[in-house]
Amino acid sequence: MRAAIFLAILAAASPASAQSGSSWYGPAPDAPTISFRPFFAISNERFAAAKTFDAVFDDASAQFWGGGLQVTGWQGRVYGEVSASRLMKKDQQLVGQRVFVSDGSVSKLGIPLRSTIEPLEITGGYRFNVHPRVIPYLGGGFGWYHYTEDSDFADASENVDVTKTGGIFDGGVEVRAFRWVGVAVDAQYTHVAGILGNGGVSQQFAQGSGSSANSERDLGGWAIRLKVVVGR
Amino acid sequence: MVGSRARWTAVTLAAAAVIVAHARIHGDQRYDDPPFLILQGVGLPAADVGLMKDDTHGPDAAEALHRAAIRASLTNAVAGANFRSGRMIVRFRDDASLDARLSALSDATDGGVMGDRGSYADFDMVQLAAGEDPVEASRRLMEDHADVVEYAQPSYRMHTMFKPNDPLYASNQWNLPMIDLERAWDIQPAAGSSITVAVVDTGLAYQDATVVATVRPFRDDQGRLYPSLGRVMIPYSAARQVVAAARPERIVSPRDFIWNTNTPLDFDGHGTHVSGTIGQLTNDNEGTAGVAFNVKLMPVKVVDAVWDDLFGAPNEGTDDTVARGIRYATDNGAKVINLSVGRNGSPAPVVEDAIRYAVSRGVFVAIAGGNGFEDGNPVEVVAEIASRVKGAVSVAAVDRNRNRAFYSTTGSYIELAAPGGSSRGFGVTGAVYQQTFDGTFTDTFLLPPLLYRAPRFDVLGYIPYQGTSMATPHVAGAAAMLMQQGITSPAAIEDALEKYATDLGTAGRDDQFGFGLIDVRNAMFGLGIAK
Repeated sequence: MRAAIFLAILAAASPASAQSGSSWYGPAPDAPTISFRPFFAISNERFAAAKTFDAVFDDASAQFWGGGLQVTGWQGRVYGEVSASRLMKKDQQLVGQRVFVSDGSVSKLGIPLRSTIEPLEITGGYRFNVHPRVIPYLGGGFGWYHYTEDSDFADASENVDVTKTGGIFDGGVEVRAFRWVGVAVDAQYTHVAGILGNGGVSQQFAQGSGSSANSERDLGGWAIRLKVVVGR
Repeated sequence: MVGSRARWTAVTLAAAAVIVAHARIHGDQRYDDPPFLILQGVGLPAADVGLMKDDTHGPDAAEALHRAAIRASLTNAVAGANFRSGRMIVRFRDDASLDARLSALSDATDGGVMGDRGSYADFDMVQLAAGEDPVEASRRLMEDHADVVEYAQPSYRMHTMFKPNDPLYASNQWNLPMIDLERAWDIQPAAGSSITVAVVDTGLAYQDATVVATVRPFRDDQGRLYPSLGRVMIPYSAARQVVAAARPERIVSPRDFIWNTNTPLDFDGHGTHVSGTIGQLTNDNEGTAGVAFNVKLMPVKVVDAVWDDLFGAPNEGTDDTVARGIRYATDNGAKVINLSVGRNGSPAPVVEDAIRYAVSRGVFVAIAGGNGFEDGNPVEVVAEIASRVKGAVSVAAVDRNRNRAFYSTTGSYIELAAPGGSSRGFGVTGAVYQQTFDGTFTDTFLLPPLLYRAPRFDVLGYIPYQGTSMATPHVAGAAAMLMQQGITSPAAIEDALEKYATDLGTAGRDDQFGFGLIDVRNAMFGLGIAK
């Protein structure tokens, strides 16, 4: 919310002349036909399976870092992007403990459990050139999500190492801070089925119907990303 | 070696005699009345006879019947009934006035009077006139005075649940790997060290002592007279594999509701065997292993053995005694209660109240499912309570092939199964071994009158037992380990044991195995995120 207000103020402070003569579907001023723009990103994700993650890690959120390459085309109207990210934790792992759930009440068992999540995502979308320095965008795509889980005292068959695909929707605003550098803030929703809900505590919480139960079958969630983009 | 031990035994008994004589000279009334005394610490370590090749607790047949007959002749049982005469348990409603209570008693009984309320009891004992039927009196009281009385019941006798086995030799404990304990110990090497398990049973051989008692005469079921042995001094030794000399602190708050003392010595062997399965010292290059081998043990004696009766114990193992034992264990820090006792017949609301009390205070209760399958498969009253209380479980027994043990009672109230042993088809190798008394030296009342002599409770070995009594401590030990692992609610422990049980028999819960054979490791391992 604060970020949106900040961006609105920034837009309002821009010279009026800069806004004249452009429309949201028009080309970006001074934009090349095609541009390759590497970026670095950090994000904070709130997992859809909040009960599950909270039970094991005492936290339903996690921070990721990563980067990728964005390609804009059609004079800045459209974009495509490939990105990879990792957990922003020591050894890129979430560390919690195994649990038992009875009647919704969680008992911690003191047996260390480690998880990794490694997204590789491809997205694309439309950039709205409403302002030379402030460019909202909206897009979607898909990704591969490599999930691992291992515990002390576990047999190999009790650990998890799986990759599934999921869908992505994202939208945000890029602010051109300098001619070659932009800063973007976006919200990203991912939905990753097939990893959670078939076993473990996620299965316990996913029993029944309703949105809450469905959420516990989803490795995705809502993330706020901050990107630093290099390029025009 | 034998000669040396004999000399030391003589010296110890002589020392005990001097102590007794000294007390008498100085007019210490304890030694004259009652005629029973435990000289704690005056005794020798046990003679260890090692693994037993046979079992002197004798199978269904002669000696078990003989033992039962002796107890019946010595106790205040009603002929043909399994409750005490002359007394009734009554729980009056809290808002009932004293006048209303007395009026109800006067109306429903033939001159019944209120007795003293015992410690750890939330119910009253009503003394009935000689010859009055407690069943009828309690029925009248409940039907005609429901506004005053919550429940009333006869004082039913409890009995232990072990099943003896055939006289063959074996030395392995197939029962512990069966419930995946080795991998459970990997996870929790401390094996329940912070948990106290109360063994509400016949007591425990937890210290060396010399017992001074006057032995009453009796007649056996064949009418043979066994004379009084007079005043005898009986050597008594701790089971060193249950209570190491170096770890006396593992015994907490011992209590004897049969003798109203704090020295619940086991004069049967059952309680010691059960305690061994729960917490036998392990990984010490000696003897057998136990499930949660570092737990603290709270011996609470609520069931009288033959020798308790022959020594003239003032109380018997009835519903009220068991209920008080459960409440005592709860109030004194037990987190798990093992109840390898039970009975058939009418409901036991006084015991149910006590079990609910225990569970409501965070105590998990494991209860033997019963051994009566081949005796008409009657409902096991205490086990049946467990099915109504989340946090208490009833336990069936399996043999070493994971089949239902031949004796194990079936019914809708069976919730879990554990190794209880079975000699049928396996001989003695199918039993559960733990350290307890060698019956050759304790059960002298099973000998002909001419050979009858004072018992010795200082010879112990690794004795094969079988029964749901033996299955239940596997569950109690598992519960202690789960509690130490972090599952503190009794209901959650029941959930965990049931969820991770290995399904046996008909798919899903069934009347033979309940939810199946417990799997301690998997229950303890719990859940990850996705698996």
